[in-house]
Formats: sequence, structure tokens, C-alpha cells
Amino acid sequence: MSELPLSGLPLSGLVVLDVSSFIAAPAAAVALADFGADVIKIEPPHEGDPHRNSYRNASYPPSDKNFPWQLDGRLKRSLALDLKNDSARPVLERLIERADVMIVNFPPPARERLKLCWEDIEPINPRLVYCSLTGYGETGPDRDRPGFDVTAYFGRSGILDAARYEDGPPGLSLPAQGDRATAMTLVAAILLGLRQRDRTGKGCWVGTSLYANGVWANGTSAAGALVGAHLPPRQSPDKPRNALTNLYRTKDDRWLQLLLVRDDRLWPVLCKAIERPDLLADPRFTERADRRTRALELVAELMPVFAARTYAEWEATFAGTGIPFGVIGRLADVVEDEQADHAGIFADTTNPEVPRTVNNPIRLGFAQPRKAGPPPAVGQHSEEILREAGFAASEIDALKKSGALG
Amino acid sequence: MTEAPLPLAGLRVLDISSFIAAPAAAVVLGDWGADVIKVEGPDGDPNRRIMHDSSNYPKGAVNYPWHMDSRNKRSIVLDLKKPDARAALDRLIAISDVLICNFPPLVRDRLKLGYDDVKRVNPKLVYASLTGYGEAGPDRDRPGFDATAYFARSGLLDAQRYEGGPPGVPVPAQGDRATAMALVSAILMGLMQCMKTGEGSWVGTSLLGNGLWSCGVVAQAALVGAYLPHRSPPDRPRSALGNIYRTSDDRWLQLTIVREDKMWPGVCATIGRPELANDPRFSTVADRRKRSAELAAILSEAFAQKDYEHWRQTMAGHGITFGVISRPQDVPDDQQAVASGAVVETAIPEMPRTLANPIRLGFAEQQVARPAPALGQHSDEVLAEAGLSPDEIAALHKSGAVP
Repeated sequence: MSELPLSGLPLSGLVVLDVSSFIAAPAAAVALADFGADVIKIEPPHEGDPHRNSYRNASYPPSDKNFPWQLDGRLKRSLALDLKNDSARPVLERLIERADVMIVNFPPPARERLKLCWEDIEPINPRLVYCSLTGYGETGPDRDRPGFDVTAYFGRSGILDAARYEDGPPGLSLPAQGDRATAMTLVAAILLGLRQRDRTGKGCWVGTSLYANGVWANGTSAAGALVGAHLPPRQSPDKPRNALTNLYRTKDDRWLQLLLVRDDRLWPVLCKAIERPDLLADPRFTERADRRTRALELVAELMPVFAARTYAEWEATFAGTGIPFGVIGRLADVVEDEQADHAGIFADTTNPEVPRTVNNPIRLGFAQPRKAGPPPAVGQHSEEILREAGFAASEIDALKKSGALG
Repeated sequence: MTEAPLPLAGLRVLDISSFIAAPAAAVVLGDWGADVIKVEGPDGDPNRRIMHDSSNYPKGAVNYPWHMDSRNKRSIVLDLKKPDARAALDRLIAISDVLICNFPPLVRDRLKLGYDDVKRVNPKLVYASLTGYGEAGPDRDRPGFDATAYFARSGLLDAQRYEGGPPGVPVPAQGDRATAMALVSAILMGLMQCMKTGEGSWVGTSLLGNGLWSCGVVAQAALVGAYLPHRSPPDRPRSALGNIYRTSDDRWLQLTIVREDKMWPGVCATIGRPELANDPRFSTVADRRKRSAELAAILSEAFAQKDYEHWRQTMAGHGITFGVISRPQDVPDDQQAVASGAVVETAIPEMPRTLANPIRLGFAEQQVARPAPALGQHSDEVLAEAGLSPDEIAALHKSGAVP
């Protein structure tokens, strides 16, 4: 670790044990590492975190590059330790003694089996901040249920039901979308725990659940539901309540968001810009109220208009007219988006296979996130980490022989 | 003000922000004991009226979004366009630990509320900035909203659509609230730095940055040139047994048949079509995949006949695994939502329950939510705490700086 220039980073000197798998909890550890923490990922020998194979998952964008592992494994060191092997336990305990933070996401029954609950860990290091992620919380009928982003964060919280067009199927979420948002909550929980430890000298339990984060993200609608208010279903773009604040598909299959809120002023400007003076003269659409009542007739006129030109052509047509509009961005454009560069959203890595990565969204005036190299191979740092924890070469050999250490 | 055991007790936060992402971060700090002072202009935060102004908000008799985003705050009104209001604000800045600001950069410059301006007043202050699109670049001055900056610009809405269909729709403030947690993390890092060095700092985040962080998997894929094809719609699924179906009461069931070779006869029995188990069109996994649209049509017709409760019981009886797409109205009565502390009681008579922030600490409970403040409800009290004399406060009222 000493070769890394960590001294100026706010979390330098902090040792984090990432005893978690997949995405939400490991992504929180990534954010800590970005800001200087020494993150030790403890994985089963041989296969490691199953997330190492997520890039082969059918719901992931197909690539022969292990891009998700780069994202969620960056800046970590890997220790391959078989927690089911009895001789692994003393190793884990010696690491816990030296750690500041430990992140766990086993479902409660597995934690109990492995003696990895806070009650088990606190006697080993009473100054530790123990961070728990679950799918559905620490108590209640579903506490033991393994939770995934799509079920616990999106399905159960009501987001997918609410995120749909009238009469349409439920909305869709993207791989790990809720996991990654939840990671920021875990970071906040861990920082609150560290603050508490620094003030009182005592460690503590902190945590969150995917379900609670989904409900929090859906908080406006959920708070409405708590007082009996329900969201009206969103009209699909061919049946809008207002045709002038609506989505239109362009010739090149982009979606243009027209936002003509001040149509009292801009209706003639729009008719001119789209070269449809006949609409301006059309008695059906003279008054603002007419245009609202006849939204369906108006949308039928406008859909073919917008479908006749590409988004770039519309951009040129509307430039300087004062007509508010926007585009539904595509990821293909985002990666080239100049603004994303300015906002520090992507960062270069030193891994030639995946040369750019997604930065964590926290910005600090006093420090920059670390530059990432390639993520570790399973057990790449096993020996180094144990040596740092004071294990003798003979002890390390014995652990390897027993299969506890990979 | 606050009870001693809360981890942020004693911390004073100026919330000079509007709408949702930044104020929601201040809510979380307040939940954990911070004294949050909301600084509003004479018209108040427009979020006070959003339930009525936005057609995308559920309408209620209670102003629930305002309670949700302003609980446990105190309100002071300052007309920052007046010089003496700006001077009064400096007195508040001088006694605060954190300032949260979400004006677009141009407005900040005009109001002299950039970090360099306030650092002079209080060098120990943590200045937390939220922008739509970041602090630099061609769009830095553009006001950013959740739907535009977090969802549309990030590519999320384009990726969240069914093949051939319109872009996905976000639920109100979904990205704002997720972003609030990143802002809280940033503020806590700033406070940690202040404990270490004794110095204040600038910290911040952007809606666009958070949108892309949340869809990091597909964004990282795009960075290596890999893209996800749009999801096929439910009437043309890749697998009819891993698909969603609508029930007669407009609920949706997510079928997730993992061992479909074993479960196929059970599925046929569940929908009252046992003869399908022997239908040569669907006898193997490969046949069912090849004829997935044909099979989906049969299943969707069957599931549309009965309501959700019927299917829940019937499928459980046949050992068929499925997930339900909950509706927002199911959450308040979901036992697990209460047990896990997501839905909590308030001290607000007209809104007896609300949503806790998702952070859980073993050593402290979140403050019970009290009613959101009326506009300027605490103006005089807060100014007095900052050391202004009754005469000074009266003068501010007179000049209109504190209406």
C-alpha cells in the first residue's frame, strides 16, 4: 500500500474489510477506497465474489471485457479466505482487530452460521464500525430473504408499478441501478459511525436495506400513499393531456421532449418553426384552452411532423427560437458528453483493458478520488495482507495447506 | 432542540436550497440531530406548492411532500436581494457548521454565495454544493432537475424502455432522493476533514453524476462499447416463464420459474390448463423458448381472468415462485416496511406516518418528525440566536429584508 500516494486523501489510514458480494455493499467499499481507504476484499478461494462473473449475465450488456468487476472491484486488495474452514476464523479475527470498518451483506441466517453478527464481532474489536446491508431489513417476516436490486429496491417499493404509462406494463430498471444508489447510503451510514467512534471511542453497528432505499427513492409517492393520495398514471406520448409538453419520436428514433409551457406566447413561434402556418390558422387550435381540449387532435398533427426530421435537424431548427426542448439522452452519447467530463463523471484508469470508469458522485474541494488500476485477481494479495497482520511465513503456508487461504 | 445521543446533535446546518435533492440531504442531517435552519426567500421554497403545481404529484389533503422534505427544520425568511439581509445571513453563516446551496452558479455569483465568498465569513464551514450538471462546463449554469439531469441526460430513460416503446418514466423526485444520500456522504467527509485539520471545505455532487453512478453498470459498459438491447415487451418475451403478466385487477405478477423443466406441469395446472403439459408445441425448454410469444399469449389470457389474490394462493398451492410488483399504496401497510423501520410514526397530527431516511444506526434512533415550518416561522428566534439585538431585528423587518 505504501507506494500509493494516499496521504492527502480524507480516508487514508482507514482499513476496511469488505466481506460482501455482488454490488451494493462492495460499491460502498469502492467509494471509500476512492477517497483513500485501504479496502481488503475477503472472498471465497478459487471462484471469488460471484460478481466477477456478472458480465456473462444475460441482462448485462454483452462484452468480453469484465467491465462490472473493474467498476466494483477497483482499488481493493483481495484476500481469498474460506470462512467455512475452521482455521480461517483466527485469520479473520486478526484482521478484524486491525480494521476500522467491516462491511457485511450475508442474509441474517448465513451471518449467524458464520458467527459474523455484530454481537460476535464487537468483542474482537470494540472500536469497529460494523456495516450491514440486507435486502429487507434486520427484523420482520422477510429479514432472511435474499434481496436483489430488482426485487427489493424496485419491485417491492412500488417504483416499477408507478414508473409506467397508463395501461402499459411496469417500468424497467437497469442492472444494479438501485444497488449503486444504496451504496451512497451505506457510505453515509459508515461515516456517521466513524464520527461516533471518534467522539466516544466506541465502535457501533450501522446499516441500511435495499428495500428502505427503494422506498426512500420513491418517497414522494410513498409519502402520498401514507395519506391516501395516489399518483395518476402517466399518459403515453400518443395520448397526452397537453400535446405541447410531450415526448415526440424523431426520424432517427430519438425522443424529443417538447416543453412549450408558455404556449400562450410561443404557439405562433412553434407553428412557424415547424413550417405549419396552417396550424396557426386552424380554428381548432386558436386558444390555449382549445389546444388543451383537443390535445389528441393536436398530437396527431405533431407526431408526423417530428417524425419527419432527425433530432439534429430539430436542434438546428429550434436554435434561437426560444422554444424549450430537450433530448432523452442515450448512453452512447453520454460517454462522449463534454459536460460529463467537466462534471468529473468519468475517470481514467491505468487498466488498458478498461481505460475509463465511472467516478463516484461525491466531490471534495480538498481531495480527488484515487486513480484506479486493474481490479484484483482472487487472492492476489492474500500473503501480503497476512504478512502485514503479523503472520509468519510458516503460518501462511499452513493456512494454504488447510485450504483456508487461497 | 435535540436530544444528546443523536450523532449530529450540536451541528448547525443552513439549508439555503430549494426543491428536493439538497433539502432532502438537510432532512437526513436533521433526522440525526442537526439543527437545520431553512433560509427561504419571501415567496418561500417552491416545493411548498409542488403538490398543487405539478401534474405528476399525487394530490392529497395534506401537504405531504413539504412535510417530508422539511421535517424538523426551522424557517427564516431573508430577501437576499437586499444588502442588509445578506449581512444578516453572514451572521448566521458565522455560527454554522454546514451550508447547503443549490442555486445555479450564476445566481450564486450574483448573491455572493460562492464558496470563496462564504469562506471569508467562516473558514471552518463545510460548504455543500448541489448542481444539475456539475460546477464547470457548457451546461454548468443550466438549472437541473431530477427528470432532465439525473434521468434523461444520463441515458437512464432511454435505456429503461421496452423495444419499440417510449422512454421510461421516473417517479417524482426518485433521483433527487438518491442524490441526497451522496450529498450527505460528501458533507460527512467534509466534517471529518474539519475534525482532522480544523479547516472548512467545499464538497458537492451533481444530479447528472448521481444518475450515471446509479446506472454505472451500463455506463461502464458503454465506456467499453457494450450496449444493452432494449427489453422485449411482455407480449414478445425471450422466455414466457420469466415474464410479467397482468391480473384481472390490474396487478402484475413476475413469473420467475428457475427449474422450468420441473415446474412446467405445475404452471399448466395453476392456470387451469393441465392439457398443455402434454402439448407437443411446448414439451421441452427449447420448444417453449422458440414459441415464447405463442405461450405468452396463452398465459396472459389466463392470468387476466382472475385477480391477484387468487393467483397468489393458487401459485403458492402449486409451489410456483413469483414476485409481485407492489404498488406505492401497498407500501404503507407492508409489515416488512414497518418492521424494517422504513415507515415510521410522526408527531404531525395530520400526517401520522412518514418515511424514515434509509440510514440505520445501532446507537441512535432518528428524530421523530415534527411538522414542517410555516414560512418564516422561526425568523426572529434564529436571528436572536445569531446575536442580533431586538433593534437590529426590527430594522430588518422594516427594510423588508426579513418580511
